[in-house]
Amino acid sequence: MIGIVVKKELFETVGSKKFHISFAVCSVLILLAFYAGIRNHQNNVERYEASKADNLRKLEGLKEWHEVENYRIFLPPRPLESLVGGVSNDIGRTIVIQRGNELEAEGSRFGDDPVFAVFGFLDLEFIFQIVLTLFAILFAYDSVNGEKERGTLRLTFSNPIPKSSYILGKWTGSFVAVCLPLMIPLLTGCLMPPVLGVGLSGGEWLRLGLVILSGLLLFGAFLAMSIMVSVFTKRSSSSFLVLLVIWIFVILIIPRTAVVLAARAVETPSVDELAAKKSSFARQLMMEDREKVDGYRGSGGSDMEAMMREFQEFMNGIQEERRKKTDEYNARLNEERRNKQIVQEKTAFGLARISPSATFTLAAASLARTSLDQKERFLGEAGRYQETYGRFMLDKTGIASGLRVIRISDGDREEGEAKASIDPGEIPVFDFHEVSTAECVKGSIPDMGLLLIFNLAFFALAYFRFLRYDVR
Amino acid sequence: MESDKNNGMSRTAPMLEAVNLTKRYDDGVLALDDLNLSVFPGRAYAMLGANGAGKTTTINLFLNFIDPTEGEARVAGVASHRDPLLIREKVSYVSENVMLYMNFSAVQNLDFFARLSGRSKGFRRDECRDVLRRVGLEDDCHDRKLKTFSKGMRQKCGIAIAVIKGAPAILLDEPTSGLDPKAAFEFMNLLDSLRAEGRAILMSTHDIFRAREIADDIGIVKEGRLVMQRSREELEGEDLEKIYLDYMSGLS
Ligand SMILES: Nc1ncnc2c1ncn2[C@@H]1O[C@H](COP(=O)(O)OP(=O)(O)O)[C@@H](O)[C@H]1O
Ligand SMILES: [Mg+2]
Repeated sequence: MIGIVVKKELFETVGSKKFHISFAVCSVLILLAFYAGIRNHQNNVERYEASKADNLRKLEGLKEWHEVENYRIFLPPRPLESLVGGVSNDIGRTIVIQRGNELEAEGSRFGDDPVFAVFGFLDLEFIFQIVLTLFAILFAYDSVNGEKERGTLRLTFSNPIPKSSYILGKWTGSFVAVCLPLMIPLLTGCLMPPVLGVGLSGGEWLRLGLVILSGLLLFGAFLAMSIMVSVFTKRSSSSFLVLLVIWIFVILIIPRTAVVLAARAVETPSVDELAAKKSSFARQLMMEDREKVDGYRGSGGSDMEAMMREFQEFMNGIQEERRKKTDEYNARLNEERRNKQIVQEKTAFGLARISPSATFTLAAASLARTSLDQKERFLGEAGRYQETYGRFMLDKTGIASGLRVIRISDGDREEGEAKASIDPGEIPVFDFHEVSTAECVKGSIPDMGLLLIFNLAFFALAYFRFLRYDVR
Repeated sequence: MESDKNNGMSRTAPMLEAVNLTKRYDDGVLALDDLNLSVFPGRAYAMLGANGAGKTTTINLFLNFIDPTEGEARVAGVASHRDPLLIREKVSYVSENVMLYMNFSAVQNLDFFARLSGRSKGFRRDECRDVLRRVGLEDDCHDRKLKTFSKGMRQKCGIAIAVIKGAPAILLDEPTSGLDPKAAFEFMNLLDSLRAEGRAILMSTHDIFRAREIADDIGIVKEGRLVMQRSREELEGEDLEKIYLDYMSGLS
């Protein structure tokens, strides 16, 4: 019995004009998303390589290591980011490394290409979240009440079919009828990266597959919800309206409201407030140090060279101490802010998860490594690199801080005398360690599970309501 | 010959039977009040009545689309609200406006409903075409989408669905309303042949002439009550239209 309904649903859907048109539109958009994503990724790789080369080229011809400034590291682009944008376009992808400076990522893609920031990229996430959810509503809004309106429900139930079989068949049928065809453009899209010369690793294939699976789960949730609404409302015109309102809430309002509510609930100092605190603390330390310098009395003597060296050491000491204090203070402030931010994020995400679409976004971003964690991770990795870099520079220059120091020429060396240039290749390479695939997948499982629960819950509501449905 | 058959049939059990059938809707409307009628295999029963008399309610009760407030609507001796799935195997239903899947062809519609009726085993698709021919739909329209069909053709499709189901009882709710005279005539011929096969037919209608032509028994329903019931023999030489109008105006 279920099979008969499934088959009918399949033929009816696939044979309709509505399906032909929307299937064509979806296919084009899906393929476009893959194509644009891959091209975008290739551009990003080019830009990344160029920036890295440029970064080293600027150092060419420098004679002294202490002349090195504005050394940058870059967040390497990955193919999945271009398919599931997440925050990857908003976060800074470049960090200027100096010994002891506070790290700040800059140069986001939206910053570089502001025109994209206006509407965002057409990526797979967008397709799943906006296009396919609408597609699901379009196909299932009148799934049950439409049959009643058209009179086919009466005729159907003049036959010995249990209501449970019918609604199960409806659900399976509409899911299969719209999901199976969608697999065609999705799988074709998956073929595109290798064809266009972007190789994906095994882990990336797995994560891409899971992104698509979560997308289909989101699609299923909207389908089940549409069937549910079509069981609960009398007329198909009203179920369509109800679904549109729900769609607006689920896609647009709930996630935003969650963020606003979380911001209310957990107050986090702004970056500007923090910067003001930090600089006032730094100013205070600087004053103290200036007094120390004013009070400096060398051990005396006539050896100019020795006196200079002694003064240099004294200065190094003060600076080192100040750096340590500032670092500690800044680190504490950052830590406090970060902790509050984490609580805030958790609250916002937790609230937003009432919306299946937000749940999908979180799952997909965590799978594509484009969640907020990526920003933290980049900063963390940069921090570790900064230490390596600092040790390297200390080794090369003997100067503990990034501050410029007036160096007195030995006098021995003539202006014209050629000194060998430094070799920028000696600078340790920044190697970005990403979250492991296993961890990515593990992180997305709760959200995928939640999506599955949405599917089942919506269907269960439709199911039990339909058992008492008046088929006349 | 005709009377022999009837006598033989009336000794068997009724296929469709309303026993003290009463329906009061939730809003308090008493749509059907203590209705009693029987339809035997091989006989046709016509329920005559104005709009709102309770005809559709009766048919809905037989199909158990609604539960009776009192009494029973029995199919082959089983109360429909006791075992809806069982009785739905035993009745075919043709509605006033046969609504089928408009994007399916006649054959596809027939195929789907035939399988739903429980005939999925040993069912051949060719059978659909045979049945469509039998109800008067020519081969050239078998594969046309239903949305291109006229009302008469859709109605024929509806009866084809009832035929292919092969159920012993057929319920028809105003099947000829809105049909042109020729289509209605053909429709009646078809019903006649189904009755000849031994099926029990319960039909609601306001078409007095068609009712007289086909029915073995005629009942007049007014405001939920069966106010008159006579067999074809009893109506011999009587003016049914006058009787009907008299009952409607409350003279009888
Ligand atoms: N679902 C319902 N709820 C309340 N009253 C109804 C419902 N369906 C029908 N009725 C009422 O029951 C009476 C009989 O209706 P119906 O059986 O449809 O008449 P007929 O088919 O003979 O025209 C009418 O008065 C109608 O208004
Ligand atoms: Mg009626």
